[in-house]
Amino acid sequence: MKVKIAMVLRYVILILGGIIMLMPFLWMLSTSLKTQPETVKIPPIWIPKQLQFSNYIDAFKAAPFAQYFLNSIFVTTVTTVGQLFTSILAAFAFSRLNFYGKNIIFVIFLGTMMVPVEMLIIPNFVTLSKLHLVNTYAALIVPWLASFFTVFTLRQNFQSVPDQLYYAAKIDGASDWHYLWHVLVPISKSTITAVTVLQVIGSWNSFMWPLIVTNSENLRTLPVGLQAFTGDAGTNYAQLMAASTFVILPMVILYLFLQKYIIAGISKTGLKG
Amino acid sequence: MEVTFKDVSLSYDGTREILHHLNFTIPEGTLVSILGPSGCGKSTTLMMISGLLAPTSGKIFFGDKDVTKQDALARKVGMVFQNYALYPHLTVLENIMFPLKMAKVKKPERKKRALELAKLVHVEDQINKKPGALSGGQQQRVAIARALAKEPSLLLLDEPLSNLDARLRIEMREEIRRIQQETGVTTIFVTHDQDEALHISDHIMVLNNGDMQQFSSAETLYDNPSNLFVAKFIGEPVINTLAIADFQGELDQHVPADILKQAVSVGIRPEALQDHDSGDDTIAAIETTVKEFEKYGREKNAQLDFHGKKLLTTEIENTLEKEQKLTLYLQKSGFYLFDQDGKRIFGGDQDVK
Repeated sequence: MKVKIAMVLRYVILILGGIIMLMPFLWMLSTSLKTQPETVKIPPIWIPKQLQFSNYIDAFKAAPFAQYFLNSIFVTTVTTVGQLFTSILAAFAFSRLNFYGKNIIFVIFLGTMMVPVEMLIIPNFVTLSKLHLVNTYAALIVPWLASFFTVFTLRQNFQSVPDQLYYAAKIDGASDWHYLWHVLVPISKSTITAVTVLQVIGSWNSFMWPLIVTNSENLRTLPVGLQAFTGDAGTNYAQLMAASTFVILPMVILYLFLQKYIIAGISKTGLKG
Repeated sequence: MEVTFKDVSLSYDGTREILHHLNFTIPEGTLVSILGPSGCGKSTTLMMISGLLAPTSGKIFFGDKDVTKQDALARKVGMVFQNYALYPHLTVLENIMFPLKMAKVKKPERKKRALELAKLVHVEDQINKKPGALSGGQQQRVAIARALAKEPSLLLLDEPLSNLDARLRIEMREEIRRIQQETGVTTIFVTHDQDEALHISDHIMVLNNGDMQQFSSAETLYDNPSNLFVAKFIGEPVINTLAIADFQGELDQHVPADILKQAVSVGIRPEALQDHDSGDDTIAAIETTVKEFEKYGREKNAQLDFHGKKLLTTEIENTLEKEQKLTLYLQKSGFYLFDQDGKRIFGGDQDVK
């Protein structure tokens, strides 16, 4: 009996937590289908009288979202692939190779994880502007081609692979390069998937940086594009929420498909994303 | 391939030596065990043979060729690790083919060779499974097949049986012996288990604290241990060891006086303590008191007290009572004297080293 009550209580708490987490998403969906007056009505309403699907069409037409989509996809893909490539190489070096100053460099890199991203905005902006890269795709991509978080996560994973596997590969005639890409990477699949998804989501959602380093319309990414609904005359909440819905939809789908890897990958390293 | 170590030493940090001046030759086509307690340097020795580890000083020869500076690949060794180290994302067949792929063998050819090897080690019905789906013994077989794939100059096995249960261990050690004899490849086998070493090897190298203690056949190790360490390490139950001072004149007249003067320790195998005089084979007699007597099946063991020291014998013919006085006869084979450095100076075959 006691066990049963504890069980029920546990589920009640979990369900409540789940509802609270979902609330903003449900509110977004609800608002995206409201008329403009309904969005600001007090007391708030959850289910609009008539579902305004036209908000989605109007929102998509309100700004060049097709271009924004392409930009987001391009930037996210290049950033993620580039970052994975550099991180896998660095993680291999930190976990397997011996070189002078390895531990000191590692500790310094570890230290950079404690610097908040916001603090890096100004120095990074200054660097880019000196390189005349502001307002280019490079500005959106280059600063994110290395991530120590990814390096660290992968290194922890690579280190858990027994040395013998490396020795076996060496004896079998594999080079370090071959071992890395044909043995270590395939067996670290779940961690690599986890950091990939985290990076895709982070890159897809990033707002501050694209806003600062780009000002031409054709370089805008989706989150920045959402500003189109906020003007001097106020915010069109219904259309903003409709646009937000289609902006986050790809990430929701991605997450649903890969959540098993994400959870496994993160719980293994004992780090939060 | 014949392997020769010439004065090979190793130290990791330049000050503390792990292995000291190893000198030995492993004859071609034999199965040799490197045996010793944990931390004696046996796996390290194997790593140096493989080329994964370079010696600090000394030279290593394969046949007449100096391979000291060559890496594992150039030495063409095949190796089986304690945890098998199979590639978990590849199937059994792909695992066996991996070294051939690295050696750029054409695909149909490497598949053919891999299938032959799978047959040799009896895993031909498992070739499409991933290693995770195999039992420990099967993984072990696959690891051996992979190690043999590129027709290695040497097959090296690092504690290959220690992750298997007792029954499988016996089966696999016979398998290793069979595979070695079928292929004729020179095989070096590292183990801490004397039973394993005694059963399958042509020769056994005993290591302790980075020093080679003895390198000979199993029989010689047992009958003619070159020192106290080997005498204590080989043999089950363990040899009785006493100080020479524990004897009160029992050995006088029976052992030459000059040897007796140098002797420090005495080793007596449990089967060399008999309760009857066997004439010429008996060296001396000692008076003991029975402390424990156990009988199970056809085995009879007795724990005895001899001048306050414990002795164990397995050669009792009659049933004994506790606290009973008993005269025991020391047999020639199985009675050894060691000097202050632990070197054998009496007993066994004097000319065998």
